[in-house]
Amino acid sequence: MEKKRKFYFDIKWLFIIAIVGFLLVFQVFPLLYLVIRAFFVDGQFTTDAFTRIYSSDINLSCVLNTLVAASLSMVFGVLIALPLAFLVGRTNLYGRSLFRSLFLMTYMVPPYVGAMAWLRLLNPKVGTLNMLLMNVFGLSDAPFNIYSIPGLVWVLTTFYYPYAFITLSRAMENMDPSLEESARISGSSPLKTLFTVTLPLMLPSIAASALLVFVAAASCYGIPSIIGAPAKIYTITTRIVDYVYIGSADGLTDATVLAVFLMVLALVILFISNFVIGRRDYIMISGKSVRPNIVDLGKWRLPLTILVGLFAVVVIVIPFISVFATSFTVNMGKSVFEDGNFTLKYWETIFSRSSIRSSTGNSIITSVCAASFGMIICIIMAYLLKRTNVPGRKIPDFLITVGSGTPSVAIALALIMTMSGRFGINIYNTIWIMIIAYMIKYMLMGMRTVVSALSQVSPSLEEAAQVSGAGWLRRLKDVMFPLITPSVVAGWFLIFMPCFYELTMSNMLYSDKTKSLGIELYQYQTYHSQQTAAALAGGILILVVVLNVIMNKVTKGKFSI
Amino acid sequence: MSVITLDHVTKKYGDTVVLSDFTDEFGDGEFITLLGPSGCGKTTMLRMIAGFEKPTTGEIRIDGVTVSSADTFVPPEKRGLGMVFQSYAVWPHMNVFNNVAYPLKIRKVPKEEIREKVEKVLETVHLSQYAKRMPSALSGGQQQRVALARALVAEPKVLLLDEPLSNLDAKLRECMRFEIKEIQERLHISIIYVTHDQSEAMTMSDRVFVINSGVLQQSGTPTEIYRSPKNQFVADFVGKVNFLKGISEGGKIKISGIDETLDYSGDLTGEVDIAVRPENIRIVRENAHLHGKLVSEFFTGDSDDCRISVGESVLRVIADASVYGKYSPDDTIGLVINDMLVFPPASDDLRKIMT
Repeated sequence: MEKKRKFYFDIKWLFIIAIVGFLLVFQVFPLLYLVIRAFFVDGQFTTDAFTRIYSSDINLSCVLNTLVAASLSMVFGVLIALPLAFLVGRTNLYGRSLFRSLFLMTYMVPPYVGAMAWLRLLNPKVGTLNMLLMNVFGLSDAPFNIYSIPGLVWVLTTFYYPYAFITLSRAMENMDPSLEESARISGSSPLKTLFTVTLPLMLPSIAASALLVFVAAASCYGIPSIIGAPAKIYTITTRIVDYVYIGSADGLTDATVLAVFLMVLALVILFISNFVIGRRDYIMISGKSVRPNIVDLGKWRLPLTILVGLFAVVVIVIPFISVFATSFTVNMGKSVFEDGNFTLKYWETIFSRSSIRSSTGNSIITSVCAASFGMIICIIMAYLLKRTNVPGRKIPDFLITVGSGTPSVAIALALIMTMSGRFGINIYNTIWIMIIAYMIKYMLMGMRTVVSALSQVSPSLEEAAQVSGAGWLRRLKDVMFPLITPSVVAGWFLIFMPCFYELTMSNMLYSDKTKSLGIELYQYQTYHSQQTAAALAGGILILVVVLNVIMNKVTKGKFSI
Repeated sequence: MSVITLDHVTKKYGDTVVLSDFTDEFGDGEFITLLGPSGCGKTTMLRMIAGFEKPTTGEIRIDGVTVSSADTFVPPEKRGLGMVFQSYAVWPHMNVFNNVAYPLKIRKVPKEEIREKVEKVLETVHLSQYAKRMPSALSGGQQQRVALARALVAEPKVLLLDEPLSNLDAKLRECMRFEIKEIQERLHISIIYVTHDQSEAMTMSDRVFVINSGVLQQSGTPTEIYRSPKNQFVADFVGKVNFLKGISEGGKIKISGIDETLDYSGDLTGEVDIAVRPENIRIVRENAHLHGKLVSEFFTGDSDDCRISVGESVLRVIADASVYGKYSPDDTIGLVINDMLVFPPASDDLRKIMT
C-alpha cells in the first residue's frame, strides 16, 4: 500500500517536460549548433573563427562599428535617461505623467520607424531639418549628415534611452524614502543627499541599464540597415543579413562567426547584469510609505520643464510628425503644405494593394500565434516557478531569459541552419519558423508580467481551494486564471506588438508566401516609395497607441507600454 | 535647553484634515509620546517637527526659533534633530561605521573626533564589534540600533522616533524600550516618540498625547491617562475596558437591561456610559453590587480571564487564578465594582478604534 502511494504521477512534470523539450529542440539545439559550427569546420576543431573576425577587413570594420556605436549610444543613453528619470519620477516638474508616457511610447515603436524619420529630417541633401537650419542661419552646407557614425549613434540613442529610462525610473521610485530622509535629518542638503545616498544606491541599476542599452543597440538591425547601409557603414547585424542573402558557404561561416561573437557578447552582459549586478541591487521596497519624496525644484521648475519639453519635441514629436507628413507628401523635395503636394494616395495604397494586405495578414497570423502559444507557456512556467517546488522549474525560466537576451540575428541564423531539413525537421519557408523565432525572442515580456502578477496573489487563496479538494488544474482554472487575467491580457499584447512589426528575424526567415509587415515596410522604404513606407509606419504607430489605450483600459491602468 | 512649541498647527491634504489645531509645548528633557491608532495624524505631526511636511497653518518653534510658519521654513537638515525611522533606513551601501559617522561627516567634524564619537555611541547601543559590518549582515534589532546610534551621534537637541520598535519581535521590543529610556536619561535629551502601542507609551513617557482622527483627545502623565481618561476613546485605547450603559438618577445608576444599581457620587444625570477596567471587578460570594452569568473563562496561569454577561453587555473580568473552575457556565456570579468611570453617552464612533 505504502509503496503505491509514494509513486503517483505528478502531472506538473508533463508540462515541464513538454516545454523544456520544445525549448531544447527549437532554441538550445540551434544556438549550440551555431556555436559548434563556428568552431568546427568539417568535423575539425579550429580557431579559424577568431582569425576570421580580425583577419578580414570587412568583418573587423563591422565589429568595430558595432562596438563604437553601441558604446556611444550606451553612454549618451544613460546620460539622457538618468536626469530624465529623476526629473520625471522624483521632482515637481510640470506635466510629469505626459512626459512619462511620451518617453515610454518610443519603447513600443519599431526602431526602423525612427530611422526613417531621422533620415527624412537629417538627410544631407534634402533633410527637412537641415534645410531649415540652412535657411535660418544662411549656411551653405547642411549642418548634419545622418549617413555617418554620429548619425547612427544619434538615432540609436534616441531609440534606446527609454530602456534605461524604464529601469532607472523604477529604481528611483521604489527606493525607500526614509533612506533619503535620514540623510536630510543628519544635516545633509538635498543636493548632497542626491550624491551621497540616492546615486550610490542607484549604481547597480545605472550599470544594469547601461548594459541593457549597449546590448539593444549592438543587436539592432533596423536602424543600421536603413541609416548605415547607404553610408557604407556596416555593423555586425547588417553584415550577417548580407551574408545570409548571398548564401555562399564561406559567407555563411562568416555570418556564423559574427553571430556567435554578438551572441556571446550579449549573453555575457546579460549574465553580468542579472547575476553580478543583480545581487548588489540595493533597491528595496519598504512596507510603509511607497510615495517617493518629491523634490521641489523651486525657481528651476519652469526652466527645467521647458528643457525636458524641448527634448521631447526634438526626439519624439518632430520625428513622428515627419513620418506622418511624409506619408501625405507627393514630392518629397517640397513641403507637404505647398499647393498640390498633399495626397491621400499612399494611405489608400496601404489598404488596397494586395501584397501589403497579404503581408499584414501574415503578420497578424504569426504574431497572434506567437503571443497565444507564448502566453500558454508563460502562464504554466510562471506558475510552476512561483508556486511549486517541482525540481527543474527554474530551467525554462532560465532558457526564456537567455532566448530573449540572444540577438535576433543569431536566433534567425541558428533556425535557418538547423530547421531546414538537415536534422529531420524542415519548417524553413513556413510561418512556423517565424512563430518559433518570435516566441524565443519575445516570450520573456509575457513571462515577466505573469510572474509579477503571481507574486502579488497570496498563495493562501489557492491553498484554500486545495483544502477544499480542488486538484492542480482545477485550481488554476477556478482561482488563478480569474485573478491574473488582466496581466495575461497585458502580457499577450506585450508579445503581440513587437512580433507584429518585427523586421530583423522576419527579414532572414521569410519566403514569398510568408512576407511580413516589417519586411514590406522595409522594402518600400529602401527600394520603392518612402511615402508608402511612411504611411505604413504611421498605421503601425496608430495601432500601437490604440492597443496601448485598450490595454490600459482592460488592466485598469496597471499595464500600459 | 530644547523646547519644541507647536502653535495652532493644522495639517490638511486637500479637504482631509490630518491634524487639527494642535497647540502645546514639549519641554526640555521630556519624553513625549504621541499615541493613537494608525492614520490618526501622529506620524504627520512628527514629520512636521522634523521638517518633512509643512503645516497647512500654524507655527512650529524649536527653542523659540521659528522653524515652520506661514513665511518661514527651515529644511530638515538645518534643524539639528535626530530621527529613527520605522524602517530604520540604514543605508545598505555603507557599513555600520559609515552609517553612524554620516551626520558628523556632513558637519565636517575632524576625522579623529568622528572616530572617537562613533566608537562611543556604538558602545552605547552595544554594537562596537559590528562597526565594519554591512547592514545586510545585521539582524533587524541590530539595524534598529544602528539607526539609533546614527540619530544620537551628533548629540541632537531632540530625538524623534517614528514607531521604532514596531518591526521587532516582542522580546527585543521590551528590551529596547528600557534601553531607549536609559539612554534618554543618561544623555538628557528630549524625545518625541510615535507609537500605537499603549504599553510602550505607558512605560517610557513623561507625558502621553492621545490622538484620534487628527484631534488631540487627552494629554497627561501615563497615570492620568490611565486612571482618569477624558472620554470613552481614551479609556478604550489605553488599557482594557468594559462598557455598560445605564441611567443616573439620585446618586444611583441603574444598569440597562437588569434591575440592579450602582452607587454614584458624580454629577451626571440621565443616560450615561460606564467604563470599568477588568482589574477593578472582583468576583464575590456575597455583598455583590451586580450579578451576572458566566459565559466563558480562560486559565492564563496567573489569572482567570472570564467573560460574564451582565444585562445587555458582556464584561471581561480578570479574576484570581484560584477562581478558575469553581463556576460552571450559566452559574450566577456576584460582582463587586471597585472603581468605575462615568461618561456622558457617546456616539459609537468615539468608542470605535480605527486601526
